[in-house]
Amino acid sequence: MILMQTKALFIDAYRELNAKKLFWITMALNLVAVIIFASLGITQKGVTFWHWQFESMFFNTGLISQELFYKLQFTSWGAGFWLSWVTTILALVSTAGIIPDLISGGTIEPVLSKPIGRIRLFLTKYLTGLLFVALQILVFSFGCFVVLGIRGGAWEFGLFLALPIVLAFFSFLFSFCALVGLVTRSTIASLLLTMLFWSMIFVVNLGDSIMLQQREGWKLQLQDRQGVIEPQIRFAETRLEQWRDEGRPIPGEGDEPLPEDASDVLEVVNPTLRQSRERVEEAEEAVETWTTWSARVFALKTILPKTQETIALLERNLISDEELSRLMGTGNDDFSADEDMPAMADPRATKAVAEAMRERSILWILGTSFLFEGVLLALCCWIFARRDF
Amino acid sequence: MEAVIDVQGVEKMYRRRVHALRGVDLRVGSGEIFGLLGPNGAGKSTLVKVLLTVIRATKCQGTLLGSKVGDKGVLSQVGYLPEHHNFPKYLTSKQLLRHFGAMSGVGRAERNRKADELLEVVGMKDWANAKLGSYSKGMRQRVGLAQALMNDPKLVILDEPTDGVDPIGRKDIREVLLRLKDEGRTVFLNSHLLSELEMVCDRVAIMVHGLVRQQGTIEELTDGQSGFAVRALEPISDELRETISKRLSGIDPIKTSDPSELVFATSDADAVQPAIDVLRSSGVTIRQFGFRRPSLEELFVKAVQEHPDGARPGAQRKGGRS
Repeated sequence: MILMQTKALFIDAYRELNAKKLFWITMALNLVAVIIFASLGITQKGVTFWHWQFESMFFNTGLISQELFYKLQFTSWGAGFWLSWVTTILALVSTAGIIPDLISGGTIEPVLSKPIGRIRLFLTKYLTGLLFVALQILVFSFGCFVVLGIRGGAWEFGLFLALPIVLAFFSFLFSFCALVGLVTRSTIASLLLTMLFWSMIFVVNLGDSIMLQQREGWKLQLQDRQGVIEPQIRFAETRLEQWRDEGRPIPGEGDEPLPEDASDVLEVVNPTLRQSRERVEEAEEAVETWTTWSARVFALKTILPKTQETIALLERNLISDEELSRLMGTGNDDFSADEDMPAMADPRATKAVAEAMRERSILWILGTSFLFEGVLLALCCWIFARRDF
Repeated sequence: MEAVIDVQGVEKMYRRRVHALRGVDLRVGSGEIFGLLGPNGAGKSTLVKVLLTVIRATKCQGTLLGSKVGDKGVLSQVGYLPEHHNFPKYLTSKQLLRHFGAMSGVGRAERNRKADELLEVVGMKDWANAKLGSYSKGMRQRVGLAQALMNDPKLVILDEPTDGVDPIGRKDIREVLLRLKDEGRTVFLNSHLLSELEMVCDRVAIMVHGLVRQQGTIEELTDGQSGFAVRALEPISDELRETISKRLSGIDPIKTSDPSELVFATSDADAVQPAIDVLRSSGVTIRQFGFRRPSLEELFVKAVQEHPDGARPGAQRKGGRS
């Protein structure tokens, strides 16, 4: 009977989706997105779109292969923008009403009077909500798979990883949406609060990126500044020897006092050393400050679903470290930092941030996110099982 | 008679303040049509929802079809039509019936057969493939009734089944109910339409403010309140009433609100003749004479009025009035 009831609930969900125009509108939009994806191409000179040619220094077959080009397009705007923004927003609009509709007066009574446990009923309904996104992702991924196969010359089954990854991403938001829907019984409230929650995660992600960029930028600045000090000390020591040989009075030795603003004689001998040491101290303090803040934001992120990192898992799987390193390293190898350049603007920091993000473990990304979802769903089940309708 | 519903001391308190059920004892026998009546807020729907696990009782002892109340498994043998149902408008009636059939564990072939059969029974065969969104209230009610019968239930619980249904439809529904009874099923009805209950119910219970005040067959409930009634053209004076009372010693008069009426608790017409003689000799014109049994409506009104808060709508708040 369990299978029969589950099947009935899924068929009902399909009929509900089928009745909603938005489902088909989203499906049509997905096909348009696939057509746009297919219209993109790469040549020796640059990028093409339909019959238009755009010359590019970075995107041409001299630098990246057709396969990598399409994989990059799929991970960046396909999954990173289209599936995780446009399709997700449309899916939330379409599915936000599933739980409020289920528990509305006159609908829930006949369902609860059937031989089905409340927790199973709730979780099955929750899964039917994910069905909407699953169908959309599947259509989009299949379309892109065919395009990559025909135009890129590679039948990359890894593209279908978008299904579990984007579905997991959506489920983190949908669990929050379901909880709000269950508590407020309102579709509008659950949709708006989910959008607010999503915005909050976005802000935390942005904060995390900024903190990381600052931390990595200041670490690099510290290295650069420490690198400057060594020759300055050597220079000061040489000059000090010269002074001694010339019989000049040495500050801090004998009756000659050390100036108050100098910490040792080397700074008197080479005044730029003091300035450099101050700059190193400044960088050390900044590294400490930004490491602390980065750790705090990281801790906050740990308890929240990792939407950004979850989507980035697709890129991790489709694009190898070597390929990414080649792409990001282009033009940075002979980079020399300007002394006055802000830490945030250092392109080496951007690369370091990307590497730091990529080093975050899958267990941390998915484990803690699913834990978050699990806690929310457990709370939903507890409320749903105890509520009188 | 085997009990299909047998509950004792059912209590439901909402948010520790509103006492919706205050110790309901109820017994419904197998194969009977049972009517539960009561004013708005009496707790009728709450009681039904407790039986169907839609609401969790604060306290409940008893059985439903032999299983403890709250057992989900037994619900596969129960059909239910809620009062203000809101079935999905995107489904056709056939799809709706199949869906709820599957939810009750009815096999695929049986679902298809039953859906066609029941839509014919409730007169909706021609609308089988039309979406519920295009139905009138009465049509939705008919489909709702069919939905409640999809699993061949032993017990059918119907909350206001004729709500919004036209007189022809009501007659059809009554016939369906009687057919269910003939098939040996038990029907539990919640309704405000007392005249309809009176036509089909074997037994009734009257519920007021979370308690069952009376329960039994209509004959049992009217016992002691039936008798011969004499109705005059004008009000009968107190002196005449006293004279008649003396002449008919041994026959108890029944209280009535009509000043021109005298009712005697006897089924013997001869025993009442002296009263007619007294009235006639006093020049009173007699308009009507005959055996009279109180209607269900009168019983209901009496039961409600006997309760201090009976006429007030809503459940009772703890330690106070609603």
